[in-house]
Amino acid sequence: MAMAVAPSRPFDYLESLPGTTFYKLYQQPSTALAIFRRMLPDLAKCFVMALLYLKDPLPATDLEAWVKAESLKERDNALSILGRLHILSNTVITDNVRAYKVTDPFASSLRQALTGAEKTQSFGVLWHISDGAAVSIAELDEYARRQWEGVLGYMVGTSGLGIQRDANLSKGVKQLLQAGHLVEIRDRRVEITQDGFAFVLQDVSTQVWHILMLYVESADAIGMSSVEVLSFVFLLSSLELGKAYDKKHLTSNQLRTLTDLADFGIVYQDSPDASHFYPTRLATTLTSDSSALSNPISGSLSGPSGTGSNKAGSGFIIVETNYRLYAYTSSPLQISLIALFTTLKYRFPNLITGKITRQSVRRAIEMGITADQIISYLATHAHPQMRKHNVSRSTSNQAGIPPSVLPPTVTDQIRLWQLERDRVKATPGFLFKDFVSLAEYEAPCRYAEEIGVLVWKSDRKRMFFVTRHEQVAAFLRSRK
Amino acid sequence: MNAVDATEHYETSARDPAPALLTVVLDTNPHAWALLEDSLPLSKAIANILVFLNAHLACNYANEVAVVASHSQKAAWLYPHENPATKISHDADGDVSMNGSSTNNNTTEGPGQVNKYRPFRIVEEQVTHNLRELMASTSGPDVKANNSTMMAGALTLALSHINRRSIAWAEAHGADTAAETSGGGPPSGGHASGTDTTEGLQSRILIVSVSGASDSAHQYIPIMNSIFACQRLHIPIDVCKLSGDAVFLQQASDATKGIYMSLTEPRGLLQYLMMAFLPDQRSRRHLVLPTRVDVDFRAACFCHRRVVDIGFVCSICLSIFCEPLDNGTCLTCGTNLEIGDYGAKPAVVARKRKKKKRVNGPSGTATPTPTPTPGP
Amino acid sequence: MGDSDEEYIGEVSEDEDDNNVFRGSRSEGSASRAKRRKQRGGAEWEVSRTWETLVEGADGTISSTVEGLLEAGKRKRLLKDTTPLQRGIIRHLILIIDLSQSMTEKDLRPTRYLLTLRYAQELVREFFEQNPISQLGVLGLRDGLAIRISDLSGNPTEHISAIQTLRDQDPKGLPSLQNGIEMARGALFHTPSHGTREIFIIFGSLLSSDPGDIHQTIANLINDKVRVGIVGLAAQVAICRELCAKTNGGDDTRYGVALNEQHFRELLMDVTTPPATYSQKQSASSLLMMGFPSRTVETSPSLCACHSKSSCGGYLCSRCNSKVCGLPAECPSCGLTLILSTHLARSYHHLFPLVNWVEVPWQRASRSSVCFACGIAFPPVPPKDQWQTTENQAKGMSVSSRYECTVCENHFCIDCDLFAHEVVHNCPGCQSKPTFPKKADLLGCQAGLGLEIMDTSA
Repeated sequence: MAMAVAPSRPFDYLESLPGTTFYKLYQQPSTALAIFRRMLPDLAKCFVMALLYLKDPLPATDLEAWVKAESLKERDNALSILGRLHILSNTVITDNVRAYKVTDPFASSLRQALTGAEKTQSFGVLWHISDGAAVSIAELDEYARRQWEGVLGYMVGTSGLGIQRDANLSKGVKQLLQAGHLVEIRDRRVEITQDGFAFVLQDVSTQVWHILMLYVESADAIGMSSVEVLSFVFLLSSLELGKAYDKKHLTSNQLRTLTDLADFGIVYQDSPDASHFYPTRLATTLTSDSSALSNPISGSLSGPSGTGSNKAGSGFIIVETNYRLYAYTSSPLQISLIALFTTLKYRFPNLITGKITRQSVRRAIEMGITADQIISYLATHAHPQMRKHNVSRSTSNQAGIPPSVLPPTVTDQIRLWQLERDRVKATPGFLFKDFVSLAEYEAPCRYAEEIGVLVWKSDRKRMFFVTRHEQVAAFLRSRK
Repeated sequence: MNAVDATEHYETSARDPAPALLTVVLDTNPHAWALLEDSLPLSKAIANILVFLNAHLACNYANEVAVVASHSQKAAWLYPHENPATKISHDADGDVSMNGSSTNNNTTEGPGQVNKYRPFRIVEEQVTHNLRELMASTSGPDVKANNSTMMAGALTLALSHINRRSIAWAEAHGADTAAETSGGGPPSGGHASGTDTTEGLQSRILIVSVSGASDSAHQYIPIMNSIFACQRLHIPIDVCKLSGDAVFLQQASDATKGIYMSLTEPRGLLQYLMMAFLPDQRSRRHLVLPTRVDVDFRAACFCHRRVVDIGFVCSICLSIFCEPLDNGTCLTCGTNLEIGDYGAKPAVVARKRKKKKRVNGPSGTATPTPTPTPGP
Repeated sequence: MGDSDEEYIGEVSEDEDDNNVFRGSRSEGSASRAKRRKQRGGAEWEVSRTWETLVEGADGTISSTVEGLLEAGKRKRLLKDTTPLQRGIIRHLILIIDLSQSMTEKDLRPTRYLLTLRYAQELVREFFEQNPISQLGVLGLRDGLAIRISDLSGNPTEHISAIQTLRDQDPKGLPSLQNGIEMARGALFHTPSHGTREIFIIFGSLLSSDPGDIHQTIANLINDKVRVGIVGLAAQVAICRELCAKTNGGDDTRYGVALNEQHFRELLMDVTTPPATYSQKQSASSLLMMGFPSRTVETSPSLCACHSKSSCGGYLCSRCNSKVCGLPAECPSCGLTLILSTHLARSYHHLFPLVNWVEVPWQRASRSSVCFACGIAFPPVPPKDQWQTTENQAKGMSVSSRYECTVCENHFCIDCDLFAHEVVHNCPGCQSKPTFPKKADLLGCQAGLGLEIMDTSA
């Protein structure tokens, strides 16, 4: 777990870009900083920093000697990631010695980010605002929460189980969700897909990245340069919460992006023509790990609305070993999410209780949710009391296995209920039968086994079942 | 059903690696820096260290730094340390000779360009401002008075800060804080085995030192106390030695599994820092670290300050002497001590004493006299 | 529990007194326990009326009271006696663990037996951290016999792995105090007189089935200058109290009975503090010869003298140059004790403890607004008329949450207080001020007092 920090989606997208795009991307120091922070494993960061201020390339043997022999796998992983992101390049110096060098736009941008002397306004330009008119952080959080829950509620509400929400989202948002296969239009009703379920059950940081990547991918379709959008996204990630930023240095494409992102609650502006905008917490924590995000944001997104950021973590779900579930929330979105896989019993102003039953889990699985998604959702939003209890339980556990936050009985049982659906496994294929004699049956059967397509055979009934029939049929014809 | 076996599925989701707290203890002894002025002036060294701090912050969103200055007669916080009185009155240049910066940026609020990532900027401003104040408040007579540095105070302040941040982090992430304070050990609960815990804040201390050891001899006990505290809390102490020689710093990094480097070329400070001192504890497991094997652990005797191989220790107050005392009185605690013979005589097997038989003859093998036959 | 009603197994003891004392002690024990607790001023075993201690704060919540209770709890742990006493730094301790039937009780989670073993391992670790030049041995009492679990040595891993093997076996039979003490006495027989000789027993039963006269054994212990401490898990047993009182010169505070797991752990960890020497004639002080080797690294492996294991590095004895692998150790060839100066330095804080910090009343609280060490903000000083009310609420903790060091007069918060006294043993304020250059040597300037010897005759 310590190695792969990057969520795979933005990383895969970046990998698919051609080298020239990277050249343009890395001109901005904020981009270089964001990619450095978020996409690289620890060892890769050490490599980059060590090579950043060297004048000459470092011979490859020196770099390899620096890493311990046991950590070969991590080293190769780090080097390959750096290569794929065009950060590290192989050169050859005198005497045909292979050497590594940090590629140039990235190196100079990162250096500028560290020392802070460049001409571009890559870190945003502050907008001076008088105190009375400034928007407070609490208001920004509230806005972000409302918008984000609106989007998620739109997705979940359409599955028919949750509470219906007013569909007052902009057309762009709906189009984006549809383009990303998170919802589907079927018979003029909007329904959530399996990808959509996976999406809503993830933690907020992954969700935000997912949406942003969808937006970047669809940028070309709308007529904007994806590079520009991407670098704007990275610029947003380096801004500070609670401060207003000037819009006059942004290009028209960036302004358009700003408006679209405001619909999601990632930035806030008073009106599309306002001269300044505010990034919300969703934007400023883009380059953080999800645990840093869970502290204030999910607290305000999923906790009882109206409370400020609570100090002690932000989970709100307690799962007992008798499968009962208590969730201290009153947000309709969270309630409908929980209702997807539990049977709710009581609802109080600040608490809902329910039970995880076989029927509820089977219902969820039929809709397309996997057991792993349910378990990771519960673990991400586990109440701090469960974490504390977990730590104190772990002291009496001598085997050295890191315990999970949820009771093991519950997690195992959810997986077992999922497995129940797999009792019958269907394999499509072709059945060969009605052979006249045993000898005639044996030969193609053996041939099918040799080429590896045989799935089942019965000598008594003289039938066999294969996945692919062409070769067996050709064999039979050739024998005749 | 092996696929569902609970013992292997224990994986808490979204357990990202914990952030790191880097505390830099900067030795600002004016005497020593004056000697280094030709090869590495203080302003340039500070600039390099600031870039290094920014690199540390760049590695992870939640990384933190703290800077303590160990001055000649006090230890003071450089970051985080907001001096409320002087927060607003910045002049145009808030930083110190950065490579090629223009002076019209880096104002605090107000219209203007922000060409630097804000967290970096805040660190730089506070450090330079507080350092400038520290230097301004040092007067001539103070500098003349002593030429040592308050390393023990700085280390203790750093440790208190680490303690505070660890408690705050643990509270914010729902770990069990009660277990920490009772034992004072790492917050991993029961068995503190050699495996690294990924929960809990990973802290380390970097000492940038320029002074020698003889100046801080009277701080020996507090420094050793701090070193043992670091050892207990698994906080590595890295030492970057620019000049001077301090044996206890070598012992410190050896005892806490830190890195000790004595720079041969002080001008290359930034590269040394980036390559050797930047990787955090997790990455250090994969890298080959510079080690120093010839750490001198010998003690100095209290009477003559000579380094001894074999010493005589008072069992009451544990002071070390190079030779047995004449009158048997310990110099520090004054108790009367018994002095053993310390192997002056070799240990030999005692000789068996031969039993002398009283026989009529002069020599050993006497013929046995027959018993007289009884008379009639 | 049928244990306490069983007759003695083994020879019938001639001492009727013992029997009577023992039987009577059960009823007497509870009364004397009550008296003792009351004498110590605590109502710890009484029912604590928590509903009365909880008071609503001004904003209608109890969060301030809860924080105050937490702080008071932390503070309670800190207040120890900190006069610099003469202490036995070189210690020889035998740990005796009760492995009898009564340890299968589940009143301490998961069972007394498993919890004891776990705490014993932590005790071993902590002991060697605080007393690096000392030695420890472990014995067990099972089925009327005393069994040797690990020998007296200075290597913590040996003891920890030996205790680990105990986990597979079950407790059985009845304990025999006399057998255990006799075996321990034999193990301590050869220890030199300049170190302390201690026995520490973890006793979970209410009886002891001995083959002979335990009072004779106690007399032998007193002759050999062995000190015994006991922690009981069930109830107070008279013979244990007598044992502790007689071997510690009349002071029976070394006998404690655990109320809960937390208290048990505290009683155990108290053992790691070196005991104060309590009478002049008991302190045998001598000048010890010790070697301070330095580490060598060799290019080719060679055998070490202590385990005959081949390794590339180690320490060479300063006198005879034989290689040992770890320190502290005794050279196998010439018998010289080999240590590092850091090992000695570890014990200095016992000899020169950090003075306790005092609470700061509101009058003096306005001198500081943040903690000197960590920078956390203190609660602001309320107007004068509220001072009295808040003082009534705060019990056991500082009303202004500030604690002051009397030497440097800086204010600190409770967490820094705890940290400085338990982990670092330095005051951040005193260390950040210049010390006046002294001509005295290293140790003298830390605490300018001489070392006193504790007087227990009072």
